[in-house]
Amino acid sequence: MIRAVGYRLAQAVMVALLVGVLTFLMMQALPGDMAFRIAAGRYGYDSVNAAAAEAVRQELGLDRPAIEAFGRWFMDLLRLDFGTSVISGAPVIEEIRHQLGASLQLAGAALALSLLIGPPVGVMAGLRAGGWLDRGLLVVSTALRSVPQFLMGLILIVLFSIQLGWLPAAGYGRPAHFILPALTLALGLAAASARITRDAMAGVAGTPFYAFGRWKGLGEGQLFRRHGLRNIGVALVTFLGLQFAMLVEGVVVIEAIFGWPGIGHALVHAIFGRDVPMVQGTALLLGLGFVALNAAVDLAAHWIDPRGTEKAGAKA
Amino acid sequence: MTILLNAENVSVHAGAEQLVEPVSLALRAGRPFTILGETGSGKSLLAQAIVGTLPDGLRASGQVTLDGHALDLARPGGHRALWGRVIGVLPQEPWLSLDPLMKARAQVAEGHALVRGLSWEDAGTAADRDLAELGLDGAGDRRPDQLSGGMAQRVAFAAARAAGARIVVADEPTKGLDVARRDDVIELLMREVREGGALLTITHDLALARRMGGDLAVVLKGRVVERGPADQVLTNPQHDYTRRLIAADPSSWPQGLRRPPKGAPVLSARDLSVTRGGKRLFEGLDIDLHPGEIVGIWGPSGCGKSTLGDILLGLAHPDRGTVTRCAGIAPVRFQKLYQDPPSAFPRHIRLGQALDDLVRLHGLNAARIPGLMERLRLSPILLSRRPTGVSGGELQRLALLRVLLLDPVFLFADEPTSRLDLITQAEVTELLSEAARETGMALLIVSHDPDLLDRTADRVISLGTAPEGDAGTPRGVPRAGGGERLRDRVALV
Repeated sequence: MIRAVGYRLAQAVMVALLVGVLTFLMMQALPGDMAFRIAAGRYGYDSVNAAAAEAVRQELGLDRPAIEAFGRWFMDLLRLDFGTSVISGAPVIEEIRHQLGASLQLAGAALALSLLIGPPVGVMAGLRAGGWLDRGLLVVSTALRSVPQFLMGLILIVLFSIQLGWLPAAGYGRPAHFILPALTLALGLAAASARITRDAMAGVAGTPFYAFGRWKGLGEGQLFRRHGLRNIGVALVTFLGLQFAMLVEGVVVIEAIFGWPGIGHALVHAIFGRDVPMVQGTALLLGLGFVALNAAVDLAAHWIDPRGTEKAGAKA
Repeated sequence: MTILLNAENVSVHAGAEQLVEPVSLALRAGRPFTILGETGSGKSLLAQAIVGTLPDGLRASGQVTLDGHALDLARPGGHRALWGRVIGVLPQEPWLSLDPLMKARAQVAEGHALVRGLSWEDAGTAADRDLAELGLDGAGDRRPDQLSGGMAQRVAFAAARAAGARIVVADEPTKGLDVARRDDVIELLMREVREGGALLTITHDLALARRMGGDLAVVLKGRVVERGPADQVLTNPQHDYTRRLIAADPSSWPQGLRRPPKGAPVLSARDLSVTRGGKRLFEGLDIDLHPGEIVGIWGPSGCGKSTLGDILLGLAHPDRGTVTRCAGIAPVRFQKLYQDPPSAFPRHIRLGQALDDLVRLHGLNAARIPGLMERLRLSPILLSRRPTGVSGGELQRLALLRVLLLDPVFLFADEPTSRLDLITQAEVTELLSEAARETGMALLIVSHDPDLLDRTADRVISLGTAPEGDAGTPRGVPRAGGGERLRDRVALV
């Protein structure tokens, strides 16, 4: 246990260092004058001129060696200070909290929706592997997964907002705004999780212990709750962890389509505006989020299936 | 005596083909009924038809009355309501039949709670009582991976009966078990009979059938060829097949001639010690194998029988000790015969092709193949088939042929007949000993059957501690003591 926590902590430190260095180097490598871009971000492209850019350069010390800025950012980080945005002047942590919050709401809604669709369908298909539902699921999930998310988003907008007029095409603030972006993400997620669940369930349903459960006198519902659910749990939880990572990629695209003021949206703007502290802070938080997510998945998997790890723990 | 199970004209079909001819049988409370037959004889299909667990694609017909409930087998689905409550099935692989993530108590308790309708608290108490009765006190909190095979079997037994079933059907309950565990299983099943239940056992194991007593039916190719009280059928068999079956049991084999070791050893091991998974398997073991000598290795599962053979072949390494081969002999002449013949052949290559490849690789004389095939009673037509198209016994003889082509001076046969039927086992073992005697090949044969080794080998090496109780101690095999060095236990029998 101690070794597992230590491993995750070391991983977190490595992620912080790598993300910090890589984002910094990439931002430096981008073409164009950084001071000019930042000034444009602050005052707008129309009102920016060489004087404003020079003022920004002086203020932020952009003419000094870049390594100095990186050192400053890193020393601040050790005090848990993410610095301030060079464009809005607000603390980076405040900006991220606001935008990441919006993104997490969307991701959470999408994940919850996909869980309502995917695993139940997968379980039903897996229990009757080779049946009509199983074959139908294969076709539908393959089709859903082969449609890119931006296209799916557009299809839903055309259908539900433009043709039917039931739902707003874009926006943020009301519950109705959640439905289309969350559904776009959820369909792709559910297509994958239904297949994973179906394979796990078909495997469990074919085991001798599942048959033995019937011979003990259990009904199909009892059998599934007692012997099915937990045995497909590890595969499902591990896959959900993976899906969350894919979800973050999806969110960036979907936010752009539906005008959602989330982290993906903010990150793209920060890169255009050369807002280095903002980019670094966002990338860092996302990286650490993945480390935490993996640790949570490991813990959950261990809780569901404690076999094998107990001995390893005793040795450590 | 009450008839708990009555089966009339039960038959099994696959499409138009009849796999099991109509059979009628009655199970009485307190009297065991055993169906004896070889792999593929249809004995399991018969039991599955009665219990209602036939695989998809097979059709049963006939009538079964289970404790007063009449069922028409042509209409499947009627059994479901009786499973657990009236009829319990003891599964073939108890370890795999337990939920790997659930503790033993819960697996037993669910029959009490969900089928009999007890509260979970009472069901847990009842499960603990069931487990304690079977000598499993304190095992309730363990998961299957924390149970030994024997414990898993007892947990499965308790779970199968928890919902109140008084008719128990056991399909091959002793498959792959060593002698000590086989006796445990027999005790477990007999206990059910003593308590007034009905027991139907399906087995290929003659010793099990003999120990169970009661009624016996012998099945050959989907037909019951002989039936009656077990002691009568087994002591005075009428049908030719039953006679052959009994003659093929190692305990009725003629005693082979024992030869003292002759000549310089082809393989010598000194002071071997091996630890696997924190367990000391053997220590200070010395072995000399002489030309033409047959040496048996006996011991319970997991005692290191296979490991010892692999060390002698150089496939595994001991913690300490040396293995010396007689100088000037090609390494390829030290050979191994595997336990599971199908996995020792490439699946998609014709057997003749596989042999040709071997001949080409080692520059052997292909002209010897027809003679050897005749010697091993193998039809030449087998060479045009793939491994899946021949029987296990034929495949094991082909594996022997493949080995003999290489003129081995040493052959390690790792349970070469444990996957084969009795009659085939007798044939293959006889061919193996003949090959050893005729070609001067030293044969090291592993078995968990003490009778087989006793009749075949010049001497037997006993590994591990012999189980308690006389039933588990093979005749003529020296009983192993606790801390005693193994060197002293290796004796001429």
